[in-house]
Amino acid sequence: MKKYLFSFLAVLLFVTPSFAKVNAVATLPWIGSIAKEIGKDRIEITTLIKAGQDPHFAEAKPSMILAARKADLLMYNGLELEIGYLPRIIESSNNPNIQPGKKGNLDCSQFITPIEKPSSVDRSMGDVHPLGNPHYHFSPKNILSVAEGMTNALSENDAGNADFYRKNMQLFKDRLMEKQKQWSSRPLKGKKYIAYHKLFEYLANEYGFWILGYIEPKPGIPPSAGHIQEMIGLIEKAKPDAVIATYIAGKKEAGALSLKTGVKSVVLPQDVGATEAAQDWFSLIDEVFKGLE
Amino acid sequence: MKHWAASLFIIFVLCISIPSYGADIESRLKALEDTIQQQGKTIEDQQKTINALKGETAKTGGKTIESAQSKATGLFGSSVLSNPNISLVVNTFAYASNLTEEELELRNIPGYTTEGLENRNGFNLESAELFLFAPVDPYFNLYATIPVTEDGAEVEEAYFVTTSLPAGLQMKGGKFKSGFGRINSQHPHAWDFADAPLPYRAFMGGEGIIEKGVQLTYLPTLPFYTLIGAEVLQGDNEFLFGPDAESGPHAYTLFAKASLDLSDNSTVLFGPSAVTGKTKTGSIAEDTDFDGDSTLYGFEFTYKWKPSKQQGFALQSEYLYRTQKGDLSALDENGDVVSVDELRRIQDGLYVQGIYQLDRWRLGARYDVLDLFKDEYRVAGEEQEFDGNPRRMTGMLEFNPTEFSRIRLQYNHDRTARDEVTNHEWWLQFTMGIGAHSAHPF
Ligand SMILES: [Zn+2]
Repeated sequence: MKKYLFSFLAVLLFVTPSFAKVNAVATLPWIGSIAKEIGKDRIEITTLIKAGQDPHFAEAKPSMILAARKADLLMYNGLELEIGYLPRIIESSNNPNIQPGKKGNLDCSQFITPIEKPSSVDRSMGDVHPLGNPHYHFSPKNILSVAEGMTNALSENDAGNADFYRKNMQLFKDRLMEKQKQWSSRPLKGKKYIAYHKLFEYLANEYGFWILGYIEPKPGIPPSAGHIQEMIGLIEKAKPDAVIATYIAGKKEAGALSLKTGVKSVVLPQDVGATEAAQDWFSLIDEVFKGLE
Repeated sequence: MKHWAASLFIIFVLCISIPSYGADIESRLKALEDTIQQQGKTIEDQQKTINALKGETAKTGGKTIESAQSKATGLFGSSVLSNPNISLVVNTFAYASNLTEEELELRNIPGYTTEGLENRNGFNLESAELFLFAPVDPYFNLYATIPVTEDGAEVEEAYFVTTSLPAGLQMKGGKFKSGFGRINSQHPHAWDFADAPLPYRAFMGGEGIIEKGVQLTYLPTLPFYTLIGAEVLQGDNEFLFGPDAESGPHAYTLFAKASLDLSDNSTVLFGPSAVTGKTKTGSIAEDTDFDGDSTLYGFEFTYKWKPSKQQGFALQSEYLYRTQKGDLSALDENGDVVSVDELRRIQDGLYVQGIYQLDRWRLGARYDVLDLFKDEYRVAGEEQEFDGNPRRMTGMLEFNPTEFSRIRLQYNHDRTARDEVTNHEWWLQFTMGIGAHSAHPF
């Protein structure tokens, strides 16, 4: 009996993964998708936030803490998008490798230039992202830099497969360049939209369309009847091409505005996996373009 | 029922949620045009920056990525190194009861505690709580909680947490909330109700186990989440231990928490806890002093269903069971010992609570009861009889304008004093936080 107890304790203390694959944990689905492009079958990817969940408001679930405990590399969006739960997950993970400053901690936003960084901010403006718009995953230009940064991080954590990662990065880059040409020829220039949340600003800047107003009066605050009334006035005056929302935020409101004004409403996937068609990052952007046209 | 609390609640909620009609569309369009012009300019500027950057990249041969590594991550907030993250949470409430202040003060739980209720009819300030935290260096994070009340400031918590121990271990040291049970380690402003559950008030006082000491936790890499923790504590808690029970640390805890995701949207968390130690307290009955040993066992269970930001449900319960044995001294008015008898108490208690959330509203109910399965209270081997179970029913309605503010209306149907008197308690509570973003714990 004692022997069994002893071996049980030994197992408890020294459980280590039996394979040498890099255990990568991504906070958001798109980060996991890019990592998959670079790491293919040589890394194990766990995604903490599911496509149906709002990354602004997630809770630090114990299963997320456990995933972080097992991680060799933690990759996250940054720009304070995950500030409500990620610091807690990292601290509670009891995992020294993924602490800030360690090579297992990868803030993907360090590779991009944020837009809309407010010069001054307080919370009377709503839950504004003070370091700039964190939803840069809709920006093909930024994703290229992120993928390069990720390739370096993977190579650093798993030097044996560095060439494999670099080769995949080159493939990813070629495909992205190809796709960029397709996307640039899409007739979005000059189009006008009303959106729910400030999600598509990077894409608007890169592809020359306009987002005239937001159904959300302030970030994170649902619209009042008065604000909806104001939006109806705006839509009637400015005649946008569509009212856009995502599957996790604003679907109902966009639908109601569309009914009132006759302007079509479009529901876009906000991340990989939000719709069946948006199965990886490329198809996510494809779907967004398709919806915006 | 006190109508004013309910009407105040409704007025506040209306003020926040009622739209500001009559906004001028023309001026809005004008502003919009300006914005568009501004955006056009921004795009031009950005294109310039991009072009400049492209040139730079070409020059440095793609070295820009490495140099970007030194940028602040934003994970712990945007503050500069010279400041820790600071937040302030103000918790203030209006309170109304059918009992007078004197009756409230004397409203103890016979067989459990001589301590009455502190709330005053009318306006109350619970506290303005100051939180400070930041990484110390690559090895430690540091936290302090300083509630400022009308009586002054106190150091409720001040502790470090290690961040680089190997093998899934973590150490915490200083003064902190024990990992015993579920609600114990939460701050009152994060509770789902305005007051502590009855078993907490009966067994460890409303504030719970906050002690000086050390904690070690171990998180093994099992297929499901299992956290195991142990603590050595000084034993200052007046209900369970008492500073004079023994010189040196004299309270020890052990706890385990396991969690499983039943689906992407639903999670359970459960586990046992135990705390044991030497006790010396005067809180058991009037004019007594107790010297002995106490052990408190607990079992926690939480189920959470969160299909979207807009909707959620949580069911939470804790069962507490306490054994205590030692000498109960009866004291005269000078504090001198008159007689000494053996006291043996084995008592238990339970609370169950459910919270349903829809958009910015939360509706909650709670039931607390003591002497559920066990109500042994023997002095010199003789059972002391008390009338009925101390129990309480609670209803709560919250409006959360944002995650930084909360307005809560709560009603307690309080039958804890084992007499025929019901205490009808009403709260209208305002909780607001400013400063650093606080965590969304599970
Ligand atoms: Zn956002």
